[in-house]
Amino acid sequence: MRLLSKISYYHFWLSAVVLGITGCMLFLFLRKEISKEIEEQLELQTDMVAEEIHMGRTVAFPLVQITKGDESLMKLPKIFKDTLIYDRLQKVTEGYYYFVESKKINGQPYRIKVMTTYIGWDNYSKTIIYIFLSIAVLLVVLGTLVNYFISRRVWKPFLINLKRMKGYSVSSKEELQLTLTDVTEFKEMNNVLTDLAARGKREYTALKEFTENASHEIQTPLSILKTRLESISQQPLTEQIAHLLNDAKQATIRLSKVNKGLLLLAKLENNAYTDVQWVSLEDVLKRNFDLMEDLFQHKGLRAELQIQSKKVFASAFLMEILISNLLSNALSYAPKDAQIVVNLNEEALEITNEGKPLSFPESKLFSRFGKDSQGYKGNGLGLSIVKQICTLNKWNVKYNYEKHTHRFSIHF
Amino acid sequence: MKMLFVEDEPILLEEMESYFSSHDCICEQAITFGQAEQKLKNYMYDVVVLDITLPDGSGIDLIEGIRKNHMETGILILSAKDSLQDKLTGLNLGADDYLTKPFYLEELNARVNAIYRRKTLKGAEQITFDDFTVHPSSKSFFFKDSEISLTRKEYDMLIYFVINKNRVVSKASIVEHLWGDHFDQSDNFDTVYVHMKNLRKKLCNISGKDYIKTVYGMGYKFTH
Repeated sequence: MRLLSKISYYHFWLSAVVLGITGCMLFLFLRKEISKEIEEQLELQTDMVAEEIHMGRTVAFPLVQITKGDESLMKLPKIFKDTLIYDRLQKVTEGYYYFVESKKINGQPYRIKVMTTYIGWDNYSKTIIYIFLSIAVLLVVLGTLVNYFISRRVWKPFLINLKRMKGYSVSSKEELQLTLTDVTEFKEMNNVLTDLAARGKREYTALKEFTENASHEIQTPLSILKTRLESISQQPLTEQIAHLLNDAKQATIRLSKVNKGLLLLAKLENNAYTDVQWVSLEDVLKRNFDLMEDLFQHKGLRAELQIQSKKVFASAFLMEILISNLLSNALSYAPKDAQIVVNLNEEALEITNEGKPLSFPESKLFSRFGKDSQGYKGNGLGLSIVKQICTLNKWNVKYNYEKHTHRFSIHF
Repeated sequence: MKMLFVEDEPILLEEMESYFSSHDCICEQAITFGQAEQKLKNYMYDVVVLDITLPDGSGIDLIEGIRKNHMETGILILSAKDSLQDKLTGLNLGADDYLTKPFYLEELNARVNAIYRRKTLKGAEQITFDDFTVHPSSKSFFFKDSEISLTRKEYDMLIYFVINKNRVVSKASIVEHLWGDHFDQSDNFDTVYVHMKNLRKKLCNISGKDYIKTVYGMGYKFTH
């Protein structure tokens, strides 16, 4: 729920409760006051009727009943109550108040009953309800209007800044620019955000420098190792030393690959690949396939390409890595003479290869170095790089295994 | 071929110089930005191998100067940073190629030769050994006057061998040259062996001479 709707929502319920309570109170007070007045009036009327009788005049009013009786009448109490009387003209029953009192006039006990109507009491309550309803409607409508204008004026800088924050990345060259505001809380928030962004940027730059420096620091000694080992290879060597040397060379290659892979992942996480353009995945697939054709052939793999033209807006460099990682994964893990199917269409890229089930939990497939080392040949980063590239492009990469077939699919 | 190596790591300089000297190149070195700038001002080189990270500046800044003075000079960037941005900047400024450390000297040699052929010899050069001739511009291969058909991988491998003749070339270096470095190496050694065997057979059938020797556990050596 948006903040403004939330405020309006509470505002509405608060008004409803306040108006409801005050409305009821007004209604009850008024009714009490009015019935008190009516009682006084009826008591006065009874007294006047008694006086008329006392004077010896006959009293015959439609809403006055006079009953003569004996002494027992005097024991009856005063009664003030409401009752219903049928109005034969209007053909409805209407509410009346009546007042009964016993009086002794000229030594004779009388019971006198006087009645009067509510005098439009219904109308009072209706009027009260109407007035309160219109107050409620006005409060809600005006409240919403006020909120709307507040949102236009007071919340505007907040919303603008929110939008800028959304578009801000620590990897971009621009500083975070926030609109000024005169609301203290927003000012404080702006300061915190600017500070946070600056700190994020500093840390990002430091990290970037660190990864690059680490790369430089590791790659240079690796170069020395590699060239020196190759130089040693030029000498006449015994079989035993050749074997030792080979192990050292393999380890150097692995180290250099892991280092490159980790650097690539670090850069992917920092979103450092901003060279996006329209890339034809069809071309990338065909080129990589062409390059690897002899490798597939040599392993006796039957490859089937079902490729439609598909362009994606992404980094060309990353697309090369994505495709070559997936193909080389299929190449490495398909047994001899297996079938590999590559399917590319408008919605998805699918690469399937026959093979034995995974020897480790499926959840570890895309994690770094997550696989058990047995039978695992890669540097442990290939598929996490695939995953990261897909995440970066907001694509969904999935894996499943059925009917002896591993299936990787990427939905664009 | 006259070459300048700009690199701040003495061991790498030594390795590069000793390897290229053995291939009849005149090699000079610069270990700082200032030294490189001085040498580039005073002399002309066929190919400059340029490290980006130097103690007193960035190799990238040397490219424009080289391009201004000598259009023909080939430039190969040798960088420890596998940075796409550096690569694009370098190539846009006029560098001819980009190689990331750690690298194989054989690969560097192959790339430097390719640049040299393209820039200085304008692609007109032929590589010959005995009665064989390779025409890199048309990617064709002749024995005396008759053309020999090679698959693309065999052709790439042949050039790699010929350029790096008399040197034990490791299988890993061949894999990287033929397929790039995205692949798992050891898987492809068998395929390297198959290509090598086919190439060796073709050369042997025509000339009766075995050019490629297997060096146990290490790789192959091309001699003539």
